[in-house]
Amino acid sequence: MRTTLAVCVAAVGLLLSAEPAVSHHAFTAEFDSAKSMKVTGTVTKFEWTNPHAWFYIDIKDDNGTVTNWGFEMNSPNMLLRNGWTRNSLKAGDVITVEAFGARDGSHIGNAKSVTLTSTGQKLLAAPNQNQ
Amino acid sequence: MAFLTGAKRWQVAIAAVATLFVMAGAARAQWLSLPLPGTPRTPDGKPNLTAPAPKTPDGKPDLSGIWHAADNRFVENLAGEGVDVPMLPAAAALYKHRQETLGQDKPQLHCLPHGVPDAMLVSMIPFKIVQTPRETIVLYEEFNQYRQIFTDGRALPEDPNPAWFGYSVGKWDGDTFVVEVAGFKEGTWLDNGGHPHTEALHITERYRRPNFGNLELDVAINDPGAYPKPWKAVTIHFKLLPDTELLEHLCENERDAGHLGFK
Repeated sequence: MRTTLAVCVAAVGLLLSAEPAVSHHAFTAEFDSAKSMKVTGTVTKFEWTNPHAWFYIDIKDDNGTVTNWGFEMNSPNMLLRNGWTRNSLKAGDVITVEAFGARDGSHIGNAKSVTLTSTGQKLLAAPNQNQ
Repeated sequence: MAFLTGAKRWQVAIAAVATLFVMAGAARAQWLSLPLPGTPRTPDGKPNLTAPAPKTPDGKPDLSGIWHAADNRFVENLAGEGVDVPMLPAAAALYKHRQETLGQDKPQLHCLPHGVPDAMLVSMIPFKIVQTPRETIVLYEEFNQYRQIFTDGRALPEDPNPAWFGYSVGKWDGDTFVVEVAGFKEGTWLDNGGHPHTEALHITERYRRPNFGNLELDVAINDPGAYPKPWKAVTIHFKLLPDTELLEHLCENERDAGHLGFK
């Protein structure tokens, strides 16, 4: 059985209310806050590591071509304070990711939120900066 | 609670107990959420962040607590948005390079320290102040780093081995904790935007705790090796993170370089 996963890279150049502060390195050196994207795919790997957690998903386009994308998040501590645990994602989970795309167009992004398709649970990857 | 009527007193007690149960339920494996003793509370059991600042037995404000920057406004420019600090030519060239390369060679990319005061500027990264009679210790969550601010009357060391966080001594000026920091190793950035410094850097920090939930910091930068005259940063505001603890954060590996090549 083949599941077609929608791939939707949203409009570029949206006015964004806040750019995620990636303290450890320069967000602007790697990612573009004007490249907003929303994609759905299947988790292949989740790295719960400092200074940044990463996860990877397989994204299948309408032609059936599968591409593996990597997404950077903040540190595990910031994610813990936002309701994440090291078990929040596992290989095989189908998720929808909202993210900022890479400056150089490579298959990476800086995740803003992750929504698990099975439960509808939405986890924020960048905590509210004005808490 | 002495001023409360008997019935009201019971309501407050029940609310407080209920809050403790909710907090206990929310606690996970770490101490992300737990009621800390010594925290003033409103009748519904929540931390009272506008209560007076606590005092030490000798009557000084107690700055102890877990703090985080109120916002990220000063991450990029310690001098304030749009403010240009006059620099000596070498410092100006270095700053220009850091700005143009979008911070790609900043120390923390190699798991090296943020420095003073950069380590306190990012709102999502807390630090803990532990104030004791002879020294005040600052624990920075990111990279598990610390500073010791000695308050036993010692002078700053002369010609010390340069250190990433320098050497700190503090004293009280009324309710303001004044910290002198010098003996820096060249290489840290004063802020995320890359304001540079040399080993001649001398920083004066002035901390105030106007109430239980707020901390303010004024920073004065004096570095004749990089700046033609001393300058002051904007006042940095911090908020208390109540009922929680710091979490271990070691810079395990800088993997971003590899990730960026990821296909």
